[in-house]
Amino acid sequence: MPFLPFVPLWREVMERTHQYALSGYLIALADDELILGHRDSEWTGHAPILEEDIAFANLALDEIGHAKLWYELAADLLGEDKTIYPDKLVYFRDAAQFRNIQLAELPKGDWAFSTLRQYLFDAFEALRLEALSQSSYTPLAEIATRIRTEELYHLRHSQAWVLRLVLGTEESGRRMQAALDALWPYARALAAPLPGEADLHAAGIVPSSAALFEHWSSEAIAFLQSANLSIPSSFIPHPSSLVDSRRVHSEYFPALIQDLQAVARLDPEAQW
Amino acid sequence: MYGADVEQIAIQLNEDPQKLADFEARIARGEKIEPGDWMPAEYRRQLIRMISQHAHSEVVGMLPEGAWITRAPSLRRKLILLAKVQDEAGHGQYLYHAAETLGATREEMLDALLDGKAKYSSIFNYHTTSWADNGAIGWLVDGAAILNQTMLARCSYGPYSRAMVRICMEENFHRKQGQEMIILYSQGTPIQRAMVQDAITRWWWPTLMMFGPHDADSPNSGVLIRWGIKTRTNDELRQEFINQLVPDLQACGIVLPDPNLHYDEASGNWRTGPIDWDEFWSVLKGNGPANAERMAARRLAHADGAWVREAAAAYAAKNQQQVN
Amino acid sequence: MDTQWPRYMVFQQEGPDQPMVHNGTVHAPDAELAMLNARDVFVRRPEAVQLWVVLADVIFTQTQEELEKAEPVDQSTSQLVDYYVFGKFTQQAQCRHIGQVQASSPQVAVAAAIATFADKQPLWWWVFPASTVLKNESSESDPMFSAARYKTFKDQAEYPVITMMRELRAKANHKDTENTK
Repeated sequence: MPFLPFVPLWREVMERTHQYALSGYLIALADDELILGHRDSEWTGHAPILEEDIAFANLALDEIGHAKLWYELAADLLGEDKTIYPDKLVYFRDAAQFRNIQLAELPKGDWAFSTLRQYLFDAFEALRLEALSQSSYTPLAEIATRIRTEELYHLRHSQAWVLRLVLGTEESGRRMQAALDALWPYARALAAPLPGEADLHAAGIVPSSAALFEHWSSEAIAFLQSANLSIPSSFIPHPSSLVDSRRVHSEYFPALIQDLQAVARLDPEAQW
Repeated sequence: MYGADVEQIAIQLNEDPQKLADFEARIARGEKIEPGDWMPAEYRRQLIRMISQHAHSEVVGMLPEGAWITRAPSLRRKLILLAKVQDEAGHGQYLYHAAETLGATREEMLDALLDGKAKYSSIFNYHTTSWADNGAIGWLVDGAAILNQTMLARCSYGPYSRAMVRICMEENFHRKQGQEMIILYSQGTPIQRAMVQDAITRWWWPTLMMFGPHDADSPNSGVLIRWGIKTRTNDELRQEFINQLVPDLQACGIVLPDPNLHYDEASGNWRTGPIDWDEFWSVLKGNGPANAERMAARRLAHADGAWVREAAAAYAAKNQQQVN
Repeated sequence: MDTQWPRYMVFQQEGPDQPMVHNGTVHAPDAELAMLNARDVFVRRPEAVQLWVVLADVIFTQTQEELEKAEPVDQSTSQLVDYYVFGKFTQQAQCRHIGQVQASSPQVAVAAAIATFADKQPLWWWVFPASTVLKNESSESDPMFSAARYKTFKDQAEYPVITMMRELRAKANHKDTENTK
């Protein structure tokens, strides 16, 4: 068989502008997963019971693993080395260059806050990944299918915990309501389009976040109400507009990024 | 029939000499003692003590490395460290299970830990002050633990032995990821090389102490060896570790913090200078650099988690009522 | 009252042709969380196609030693229920699934198991009512068990440290020879 130079098929079939747009989209998606995984990982060694140390570490492992897959696909699209580029994105962008939503970056709070945030994300991810697994761009669809399998387990886990905590004791119910009141305004940003989304959506490559959000909010509201939580009357307007909600970060974010990058930046030339 | 030594021990321990002789014969045949089987009260007591200490060590052992998960300097290292610390929780879980088969409850064992009554491996009372410490813990501390655990995988108590088999398989990942990190950094940039040297310098002696006091000063060793719980002495295991590690660390260009370290041609062993047992006993008694922090972190997690445990139990109770 | 929750025994099937094998316990407030905890605790590495969880208190066990001392059981045939039968066959092994019997009590189930599985002589019998087990649905297998498959960094074979040490020593030897020239 003659040796053929490696020219991935997609480069021929996907327009250059879409390649670039999709890389930006995927990096934002990865940032959500990375930052959520970062917060989840902070529970390791500090969870309410040994079994949950293990369970939450699993969530973190999966989320960070998903981030890595999306960064790698973005690297492919940009013609970058996917063994190096993801770490460059994670460790050598400044806080302002991250495109995750604030919902992911808020401090882990109490167990109610982390569990409920996880549920809100998992429920949204389940829908987004289902849509992405239908993407016209096959490499994206394949990864989405694999990630979705893991996210379905997350959703089962977080739903089980939301029910138990909301309906468990008076204190746990109160904590869950407080967590929902705090998280709900931030959840609005799930509706915000990801970078490049409009063109990519028109090309059948990615779903519309606004449409996913409609679906998600009716599902989440039904589930949370069935568990006896009251849904905050409306989404409080986000401090920033929806368009900017992936560009503007909370006051907690610089410290998170500093922590994340502290060792890697001790020696930017080193291979860690 | 049983020998005079069995009779003497039976009197000392207030056990039936025939039962004790049968029990010891089973161990001599290489049989595993299972939870329902007859065993001397002292065997049970020693096992609960050892296994629960071992479990506590895994749980407390999550803390020094866990603190670096968010700072791991590459995605790969982050996933590795997270999986490793998660494994440690898993190992604690397996070990508490083994102790539970002897009638100890996890509530009692955790209370003993949180009240400061139970011991755990002193090694975790040292600070992790740089990223390379995670490599040193993997290669040195886990390497030392594997030697001990490989021995315990052959121990006479079935559930402990089976937990150890599983743990040893997973620990090899822990050791090797640490060794890989140390090898790479020892050949890496000046900053990495300095970091590795500093980490090994700090972890070398505490790791040697992990094997426990010299055989002559180890009060429990006799009965543990007699009943097949331990099959090798502290000093034997320590020597094997030293012989394994010294040539490899030296090949990495790392200088060990021991001016007396030398190779003894006659015995084929590496000989170290004297171990500072005052430090060992002092850390064991709670005066190590991080004892207070480790216990504070465990107590805080336990206290903060109380409402969660209670809520889940209450939910289960309500559902149970509905079913009935 | 603070608690670590009840203990559930976990049984795991490692491959389609393998029996269910006991592998430990998890603490959980109820069976559903026991199932999730069992997955998180025992499927950190990819060796599962099925999990069962059952309250530890429900399992009745007898070692050979206990059987020798046991009183004869009343072989009443009223109110028969299905029992799963497990046995430990070698010193090192865990208990694994042997089969199923019908019995009116756990003691009777062991006696029935000894009669039914006369060719098998485990060192340790375990029995529990089939109705007390929670099994994962086969439709859930992928979300339950596939995640571990991709976490290859947990495999010690990912770290070729022996080769790395050999190369390091070769490099050092090479340097030594260079220096003596």
